[in-house]
Amino acid sequence: MKIELFLRKLEQALEIEDTKLNFDTNFKDIEEYDSFSVLSIIALIDEEFGEKISGLELNKISTVQELIDQIGVDHFE
Amino acid sequence: MNSIIRKISYYLPEKLLTNNHLEKRFPEWNAEKIENKTGIKGRHIANEDETALDFGLKVAVRLLQDYDKSKIDFLLFCTQSPDYYLPSGACILQDKLGLRTDIGAFDYNLGCSGYIYGLAMASSFIKSGIAQNVLLITSETYSKHINSKDKSNLTIFGDGASATIIEKSEKKGIHKFALGTDGSGSENLIVPNGGLRNRYNPDAELIDDGSGSYRTKNNLFMNGPEIFNFTIKAVPIVVNQCLKKNNTTIDDIDYVIFHQANKYIIDYLRKKLKIPQDKFCIDLEYTGNTVSTTIPIALKNAIENGSVKAGDRILLVGYGVGYSWGATIIEF
Repeated sequence: MKIELFLRKLEQALEIEDTKLNFDTNFKDIEEYDSFSVLSIIALIDEEFGEKISGLELNKISTVQELIDQIGVDHFE
Repeated sequence: MNSIIRKISYYLPEKLLTNNHLEKRFPEWNAEKIENKTGIKGRHIANEDETALDFGLKVAVRLLQDYDKSKIDFLLFCTQSPDYYLPSGACILQDKLGLRTDIGAFDYNLGCSGYIYGLAMASSFIKSGIAQNVLLITSETYSKHINSKDKSNLTIFGDGASATIIEKSEKKGIHKFALGTDGSGSENLIVPNGGLRNRYNPDAELIDDGSGSYRTKNNLFMNGPEIFNFTIKAVPIVVNQCLKKNNTTIDDIDYVIFHQANKYIIDYLRKKLKIPQDKFCIDLEYTGNTVSTTIPIALKNAIENGSVKAGDRILLVGYGVGYSWGATIIEF
């Protein structure tokens, strides 16, 4: 998947279409970020890549770049 | 010998905890957002002096009003909110309901998969000749396990009970089961203290889980992300196993009722399994997640509002604490 497309899908999943995510965005700085956002990220990664990401791994992740690294750069163009 | 679900009733305690109540208690919580994400507007909550056994009694009395109770020859009681360690709540219920004494009765400890396992036991007792008319009661008061400062779990769970009569029949009303268990996830949905491993601790520390919900080890703990991960892995597998065991496909199923965990989760599962919206049940608006009682509530409502009719094939799927899960197909 193209990284740009992933960022847009992530914005949709987090329901923050008015905010533009970039690699340095810290999830904790997003006002709408809550316990459902975590489920939305898990769902997005399951749906798009068939990969599983644990709650523990997600807890350790702060930025969008770290999330992309965790999913694995192989999945991106 | 075949078996069929003859009658279902459910009971919800009077006290209703609405999203507005929650917003008042937790100002950072938003009533509308709760509804959008969870599909829940309100959940019924037990009073201090009401227990799951009381609800089980009430719902069974209601169900047996126009049924010859001397026909009941087995009682199954599913709860994780027992009155006592011992005796079995089922024995107390046998007496309070005035059921025969030459019948079997016991409790079993399961959560969101409990209704499926109850149907599995009832239908196999009938098949083997142990019983002919089984009374299955599910009843839960998770509210008593939840800390009053735990906004996440207070939002999701509601209390309630159901009673179902499963009878011997010519018609095949309950089909084959696919069941599953994975205890490696036992710590992700648990009340850590209060059993004999870790005794109830009146001085247990109040812990912030990082999202603004507080609880002690005497309370219900749910690791939401891990439960979600388990669900999206286990449910598609058990659905396919169940369809295969019954030599059918999702296209030949008329209606699907999943355990009503919350709208977000079941809607994701629906999309993942490509189940059309018009044959998929979402029914938890004023009940919330009532654990082993969500499926019988949804089933009873679906029969009454015409979503299912005689001859329909209905897929039922339960999954949760344990981890434990199961699925079956039923017909009326």
